[in-house]
Amino acid sequence: MKSRMFLFISLSLVFFLAWSSIGWAQAPREETEKTAQHLATLLNVGRLIVQRNQALINDPRIGNKGFTPEVFEHEVVDEFIRQTTIDLKHLSSHLPSLAKELLPVLLQSSKEVVADAQLVINQRGIGYKNFIPATFGSQAARKFSNRSYVKIKQTALNPRNLKNMPDAYEENLLKRLATKLPVDASFTEWIDNETTLRSVTPIYYSQDCLVCHGNPKGILDISGYPREGAKEGESCCAISIQIPVNKR
Amino acid sequence: MALYNRSSILNSMIVGRSIISVRSITQRLRHLLKEYGSQGIVPFLIGLGLFLQGCGLVFDAVELVQPLARDEMSAICSRGQLRVGISVEPFRPFVFPAVFTDEGVRVTGLDVELIREVADALTTYCGGQKPIVPTLHLTRFRDLFIEMNEGHLDLFVSSIGGNVPGARPVGLWYSIPYFHNGGIGAIIQKPEVAERVRAQFQKQAGNPDTLAAIQEGLSGLTVAAQKGRTSYLYAEANLKNIRLLICDSLPAAVETKDPRIDVILSKHSILDYVTKHVWPDWHLLTRNDGTPLILTQEYFSIVTVEENGRLQWFLNNLLYRLEESGRLEQMRRRWLEEDYAPTRRAATEGLPFEVSKVPEHYNQGHCRLATGR
Repeated sequence: MKSRMFLFISLSLVFFLAWSSIGWAQAPREETEKTAQHLATLLNVGRLIVQRNQALINDPRIGNKGFTPEVFEHEVVDEFIRQTTIDLKHLSSHLPSLAKELLPVLLQSSKEVVADAQLVINQRGIGYKNFIPATFGSQAARKFSNRSYVKIKQTALNPRNLKNMPDAYEENLLKRLATKLPVDASFTEWIDNETTLRSVTPIYYSQDCLVCHGNPKGILDISGYPREGAKEGESCCAISIQIPVNKR
Repeated sequence: MALYNRSSILNSMIVGRSIISVRSITQRLRHLLKEYGSQGIVPFLIGLGLFLQGCGLVFDAVELVQPLARDEMSAICSRGQLRVGISVEPFRPFVFPAVFTDEGVRVTGLDVELIREVADALTTYCGGQKPIVPTLHLTRFRDLFIEMNEGHLDLFVSSIGGNVPGARPVGLWYSIPYFHNGGIGAIIQKPEVAERVRAQFQKQAGNPDTLAAIQEGLSGLTVAAQKGRTSYLYAEANLKNIRLLICDSLPAAVETKDPRIDVILSKHSILDYVTKHVWPDWHLLTRNDGTPLILTQEYFSIVTVEENGRLQWFLNNLLYRLEESGRLEQMRRRWLEEDYAPTRRAATEGLPFEVSKVPEHYNQGHCRLATGR
């Protein structure tokens, strides 16, 4: 009887320990995946705010546009709350600690890009200044990646900026996305023996994008690049994120 | 002999022994000043002049034996940076307005490509161990000269004319030309202005006199030119019967509605570009046969200070070599004749610049009537 009791207790203990270790491992994975999703959303929100203010930024009649880093931040915070219910100014204790650490870094990096561009934005008499969602996104992602062990990158199958060329993993995913209907989700996967999270969030062409990326295909747009001949809703590009779990 | 040569005085001060001698010289000067103060300043000044002459010889001799002070070329090499001034007012296609790129804020243009060539040549000159990085200081055109004189720049480039009277401030040196066909041109909106000028040429019947035709043809009209640029100097000197409007920039002239501007004077190559690509409502003023009307010939130079003798030779030799090899011609064709998007070129070959040196909110300024003419 005693030996049975001992066996039962031992098995229970082993089961409990095994379950809890799975649980411990599961929790950081979920947190990391959620963090990647939030980071992609935040970068995309920054791009959206730039796009919303594009007419103002490109207005040659106005000198000081008032599109300051603070104004940008305010609009980003509002839009991010609308999309995720997360207030970037008062990050909730329920948020993964990794997200609490990284979201402010990305917000700060994005603000700095807007600050750096003030001279260009506030030039009077000059319309198109190339301060657009894509160039904003490239710079914000680079600034953030330089400050963090997490890498964010904008990528596309045929990027205009060759530094945004996809790696093999991204290329494979982008090719699959190109043949699928638009989805409102990120693709996440753990690679390298579950030590690195890769997350790819697709971006689809909206009507505003087609001014430069639409038809007539091959004819140069305002920035001097040949138009891609894209249509609304087609896969454009993606935000790619890599988070190694052991480098914190 | 460089009697009051700054660098030779500086050299002698650096040499240990000379510091002692300079101190004793200063003490003697004070003593002499006290002694002769009551007896008259003239004998003292004569004595001082004679004394300084000898002093210059000593300084030069010291410099010959031990040239310790670094010249401007060594300073650039040890700094690893070439400090270049560029006008914040755009002079397309020589300097385009700053744009945002994937790499950050960049400027581009023929002048910027030239700066890259100068920096590359300096890298070779300095031994090629580390690249000489051109650091651009964007500032208002009028401030380029001040920045240069205050020693904040090694050189500046901004389609600057070197051969128009009054264009060269004292103390600055202009290189041999990197752009030859930089004459002053004019743009107009109303066809009747062109007709007035052409009527003057017709009167001259086979004996053309551009200055006389322009003086008569533009008489009584409102003509704009940018303050300090060679077109302004031309108008001030040659066009007495016009209403001259002084503008802070070319865009300011184009934007001004009151008073209505009849003619804008500026560099022909700039006007040729902007009428094709930026302001299609404005047209080049042409001769009766349709060729562009050039008011006077002008060439563009790189500018540095008069003391930078070694840098001057370096620049002249480099420009000569670039001309000889056809590289300058290629650059001119690339920016003035090819069809291209400046934004794309800025992304691939533009240069960053010091943001702190730029007016916080660049404003192209405005125009005002010239007074006292």
